[in-house]
Amino acid sequence: MREITFMEGTREVLAAAMEADPTIFVVGEGIGARGGNFATTLGLYERFGPERLRDTPISERGFVGMCCGAAMTGTRPIVDFMFLDFILDAMGELINQISKIQYMSSGRLKMPILLRGCIGIGHAAATHHSGSYYPIFTHIPGFRVVVPSNAYDAKGLFATAIRSDDPVLFLEHKSLIFNKGQVPDGDYAIPFGQARVAREGTDCTVVAIGSMVDKVLNVAGELAADGVSVEVVDPRTVAPLDMDTILASVHKTGRLLVVDETFQPCGIGAEIAAQVVDRGFDDLDAPIRRLNGAHAPTPYSPPLESAIVPNLQTIAQSIRDLLAE
Amino acid sequence: MAVEIVVPRLGWTMEEGIFGEWLKPEGASIAVGDLLFTIETDKATQEVESLEAGILRIAPGGPKAGDVVLVGALLGYLTAVGEAAPLATAPARSSTFSEKSNFSESVSAATPAIRGNEPTISPRARRVAGELDIDWSALNGSGRTGRIVERDVRAAAAQPRPEPVEGQPVLAEVRATPVARRLAEDAGIDLAAISPARPGARIGREDVEAAIAAHTPLPAPTQLPAPSQLATPNSQLIPTSRIRRLIAQRMADSAHTTAAVTLTTEADASALVALRQQLKATFGPRNLPVPSYNDLLIKLSAVALQAHPHLNATWNETEIVLHEVVHIGLAVDTAEGLLVPVVRDAHLKGVRQIAADTQALAEKIEAHRVGPDELQGGTFTITNLGMYNIDAFTPIINLPQCAILGVGRIVAKPVIVNDAVVPGKTVALSLTFDHRVVDGAPAARFLNAIREFVEEPALWLVG
Repeated sequence: MREITFMEGTREVLAAAMEADPTIFVVGEGIGARGGNFATTLGLYERFGPERLRDTPISERGFVGMCCGAAMTGTRPIVDFMFLDFILDAMGELINQISKIQYMSSGRLKMPILLRGCIGIGHAAATHHSGSYYPIFTHIPGFRVVVPSNAYDAKGLFATAIRSDDPVLFLEHKSLIFNKGQVPDGDYAIPFGQARVAREGTDCTVVAIGSMVDKVLNVAGELAADGVSVEVVDPRTVAPLDMDTILASVHKTGRLLVVDETFQPCGIGAEIAAQVVDRGFDDLDAPIRRLNGAHAPTPYSPPLESAIVPNLQTIAQSIRDLLAE
Repeated sequence: MAVEIVVPRLGWTMEEGIFGEWLKPEGASIAVGDLLFTIETDKATQEVESLEAGILRIAPGGPKAGDVVLVGALLGYLTAVGEAAPLATAPARSSTFSEKSNFSESVSAATPAIRGNEPTISPRARRVAGELDIDWSALNGSGRTGRIVERDVRAAAAQPRPEPVEGQPVLAEVRATPVARRLAEDAGIDLAAISPARPGARIGREDVEAAIAAHTPLPAPTQLPAPSQLATPNSQLIPTSRIRRLIAQRMADSAHTTAAVTLTTEADASALVALRQQLKATFGPRNLPVPSYNDLLIKLSAVALQAHPHLNATWNETEIVLHEVVHIGLAVDTAEGLLVPVVRDAHLKGVRQIAADTQALAEKIEAHRVGPDELQGGTFTITNLGMYNIDAFTPIINLPQCAILGVGRIVAKPVIVNDAVVPGKTVALSLTFDHRVVDGAPAARFLNAIREFVEEPALWLVG
């Protein structure tokens, strides 16, 4: 056990996996000698060389399509998008091919492709470099969608992602990737579809996604001083989504808030709320609330940028409002 | 989407003005260029024209003539035909841009207020109210919209229940609307006998009306002489309680319907007494509940009934229903009258479980919390008058059952054993059975089986 960053954790797994399995290779912009804009492949080019770490031109549709083909024909490609927003140029390959190949081949063709990229608002990266978009991927059948919130989970989930024969979207929030945490030295894998109760509580359940987990935990700690007991659930993966843990929590507390940086309409919170009303109706003591980032393109101006994401004050206010219901 | 009408900045340094008047009435159809209202500034009074078309909706709480208004203050809206104006009253300052999103932001979504005067309740609170047997319709809700929430139900449950008023039935509070209660009272129908429309729902007016239609109401004493004519001087007039009238109805029904015959026999009680003493000696010092004579009788009757199913039956005109299960009612005298709580599945339970059940039922009766479920469904009844020094008697069958066992006192008596007269203990057993369902001989064989079980407990104790 030692303290390393979220990104270092994923890199450890990547290096070990590439060492053990020659069919794994990484494709993306600046992931070769440069080691990745976000240090995703730092140090790996020296170990594995240009065959295994392939810098590409700026043509996502092209190299994503190529990696789809590579995955179909027996290799295990990792596509490193740098900013996940760039995946949007490859949506046709992603949705029409990658997500459907296993179905269309009746399972004869596997699609062991790992699509990773940095998401999220908070670095004045503005409209084209701040997206998360995971509700869209969650909506499409055929994907695994992973949103780790801390270094321990990042390493464990990356281990599962790299072994998966399904297309996995591994989404790393820019505000989290250089956060440190206690991470075991050896191998371990966290299965998909297993949420973590990050904090136990009795008055209400807050499901927090990705970058919101730390903020919600912060607020929960503050509110505890006022005698408010908040249970915080981190789903870790939104596809598959661990509803059993969320339902058990709502059964205990009776009140639910979902906090998510991504847009509210048709979002993960809407899905969770619908499932809780469906399967846990008689446990609800109050309407379900959602706190989301504003439904707007991300502003560049830093004060505007901070205004559009849930912050400690708005999270605390939402929890208080929920308890007053 | 409604277009906001705001106080315009009519000069470079203008920060406020004095509102004059609206030039068009509420609801008027406004075209681009129409003059809408007047504003007075330092310079002059100006007429302000509309830059959009729409229906004029003046904001409630907006300025009157002579009010000072800030630049940007909301005055009203122009809506499309059929569109409602935004509900909010005019705030001090309007937003600087209109929302054109497809979705409304709901950081703190407002749920609608109470509809009419009906109380609202959260699903969780409704479930908890069912579990704790609380009538939530009378509660005040502490939820934001006046909604009844879990904490309100739990608070109500934590309060002590009121004692029943003299003359009221002692059955556990039946959940019913006030209208239903009144209707049932007037019609003389016992609320406990009515099933609500859905399990767990309150009994409503419709349920009572249906019961009235299906039921024969309790007889009104119209044929009888007025009580004053019957009364001798200084006699006491006791109004009949609902439970008294119910007992009267049921007893009369039984007497007038069944072909009741009572058989009696005397059993040697010494083995039963010895068994009870042994149980006392074993469980008493261990502070465990000691099964009573009634508990033992319930069990032995249940075993006997399994071998004599025609005594565990119901007459149904075209068929006799032989019940698969044995639920035994035990007649209990209470201050309010006779109650017969039922021990369910006596054929499956051991004596200790039966003892626990009867104990629990006794406690509920004591606390006036016994419910209709616990008083219904029996397939056989035992009535024990031994504590009143009664021997044989003629109990009345508890319809829709077809037999009832009356138990007398355990009395010391001389008995014949091996042709010698010795002291012994006997108990009178009386079986009233319905001759429509079963004849004398099978009934007698059943009573004999009971006697045998009383005399040789090993036959039924060991299973």
